[in-house]
Amino acid sequence: MKLRHVLTLTLGACVGLGSIAQAQNLANKQAQAELKATINNCAVCHGLHGQSVSPTFPNLAAQQPVYIENQLHAFKNQTRGDPDAQAFMWGMASQLTDQKIAELAHYWSTQPPPKPRAGDPKLIAQGRAIFTKGIPTEGVPPCASCHGPDAAGRGMFPRLAGQHQQYLLKQLLVIQTALRSAPVMHGIIKDLTRDQMQAVTTYLASL
Amino acid sequence: MSDIPRTRFQKLRPYALLLALYASLATPSWAVPSFARQTGMACAACHTVYPELTPFGREFKLNGYVLDNMKQITGITTDARSTLSLNSIPPISMMLQISYTHTGAPLPDSALTGAQAKNGDVLFPQQASFFYAGKIADNLGAFVQLTYDGVADSFGFDNTDIRYARHVTLGSLDGNKNLVIGVTLNNNPTVQDPWNTTQAWGFPYSGSSVAPGPNASTKLDSGGIGQSAAGLGVYAWWHHSLYAELTLYSAALRGGAHPLDSTQAAVIHGVSPYWRLAYEYRWNRNSLMFGTYGIDAKMHPGAGHALQGPTDEYLDVAGDMQYQYIGENNIFTLMSTYIHENQTLNASVADGLAANDHNSLKTLKVVGEYYYQRMIGGAVGYFDTTGTQDALLYPAGAASGSFLNSPDSRGEIFEVNYLPWLNTKLQLQYVHYDRFNGGTSNYDLGPSAAPYGTTGYVAGRSASDNDTLYVLAWLNF
Repeated sequence: MKLRHVLTLTLGACVGLGSIAQAQNLANKQAQAELKATINNCAVCHGLHGQSVSPTFPNLAAQQPVYIENQLHAFKNQTRGDPDAQAFMWGMASQLTDQKIAELAHYWSTQPPPKPRAGDPKLIAQGRAIFTKGIPTEGVPPCASCHGPDAAGRGMFPRLAGQHQQYLLKQLLVIQTALRSAPVMHGIIKDLTRDQMQAVTTYLASL
Repeated sequence: MSDIPRTRFQKLRPYALLLALYASLATPSWAVPSFARQTGMACAACHTVYPELTPFGREFKLNGYVLDNMKQITGITTDARSTLSLNSIPPISMMLQISYTHTGAPLPDSALTGAQAKNGDVLFPQQASFFYAGKIADNLGAFVQLTYDGVADSFGFDNTDIRYARHVTLGSLDGNKNLVIGVTLNNNPTVQDPWNTTQAWGFPYSGSSVAPGPNASTKLDSGGIGQSAAGLGVYAWWHHSLYAELTLYSAALRGGAHPLDSTQAAVIHGVSPYWRLAYEYRWNRNSLMFGTYGIDAKMHPGAGHALQGPTDEYLDVAGDMQYQYIGENNIFTLMSTYIHENQTLNASVADGLAANDHNSLKTLKVVGEYYYQRMIGGAVGYFDTTGTQDALLYPAGAASGSFLNSPDSRGEIFEVNYLPWLNTKLQLQYVHYDRFNGGTSNYDLGPSAAPYGTTGYVAGRSASDNDTLYVLAWLNF
């Protein structure tokens, strides 16, 4: 091959690679802007750092990324059907791509965890007992066996520590009444009383 | 009292006032399924019960109506700049209001002296509206309403708010504070407001368009500038808490003579600045707002008088507050506004329409609302307007006039609402007047007024004769 051809091919390759790099750069820039816009949309309810004001909306900060992804897919596929999921999240998640879901899960899971909230010490003590030891007489296993000893969650099992007490209570109620599908939880909490729910959720919010 | 002879316009003025007040009572406040279609979110996301906004609804509005969860038709340039982002299905919706009105006593016949009108009026529809409400492009959205009015039997342009908003995160994505800055182009002062304490979206959200209303209200409370003005404004919304806005309004009347001339009525002279400042604090399920707003409007009375020379100036300064509790089952709202209006009526005095150079009006409104599961609830409201007596501005006249030439009216509004679905409201409303146009009895023509006829309309009307029972079916789809 003549030197002239080698130079032409080299130059062409450089221009081509440069264009590819430039296109990649633009695509990355656009993707970053879209992610930022999406996070801003989420932040209206969940807070910019995943710590919400209203207990209607859960804290997302330090949540398990697998759990966030699973929930976003459940909203998108309309398989999680509790009232607030339908009212807010079916729409919000409907256009999310798998990649965007993964990026959002990464963002929220890497935010600093929410601060503990004070509660009735008696309720907290009662809730701690349920969380760590379960209610053996009623066949309720310790919550900590799946959610971890510090309630930070594990994989598909969500972080519960520092979550809004009222949000957790509502989730227990909608899971118990099967408005929200959660196959593992249905059996575990089917006989949990309102007072027991109140205690365990107060404890979790205090972590 | 002035001895200026009554012109033809002045003779017609009570009827014109009555018509204007009827129209102003029909507060055009809607919520639209267009937004639900665009966002895929239920009405309950943005509304407690329509049209009252939740904190999320306020954010949606202030961010330009652009949040979308719909497939988009898009376009970009080679440097990845978005040139098009259009909803694949237009966010269009319809609103229908069918109503029944019954007043404490019949009103005078509009044509036959001494006769009375039928009491018990069905409007099918009272109003029917079409909306485009949602995204136009990235950061640009609109609320556009076209309305058929069942009383006027006309179809026309109604409330419109086009806005551009950008969400600015100060510093990096990890910054703690954020800012929304926006531009609004609208046709009704307060239609752009995100709280429900101001006129365009305030209580009562719907009222009878045929029952008599008081003869006076402040410019910002009456909606009198609405749909006859164009406003261009800028606003900032700091960290979901502090709101500041400045909008300039100029005359933009529809129909009639153009360029505007003496045949038009109530024409803004130059530009009228409207301002708004509010602070909202949110905690748990609560939100509390304190704010101020106002307008300085210079206007030509027109309606037979040249749009030149001296003007009338209306300076409205208002304070307002709103508290909301949005629980799982229980929703409670408390709202109040106080408006003080200073009127400098140079043009009206020169034209023989007002007796005093300076008048004032003060309006206080308070309302508490409660709903259970967004399904059943109600409201109790109180309103009180007081002001300067003016023989020409508030003349005596059957039903709509004031024997004491007074703008003072006071009363209560009771409402029960049932929403079998989030977009369907069945409403029972009762308006009781303690005082109407300055009096409790014989307020319109005074105690010595002779009855028009033994079987027809009887003059010497009491405030409670205007008590109004209003039944409404309000459908949004």
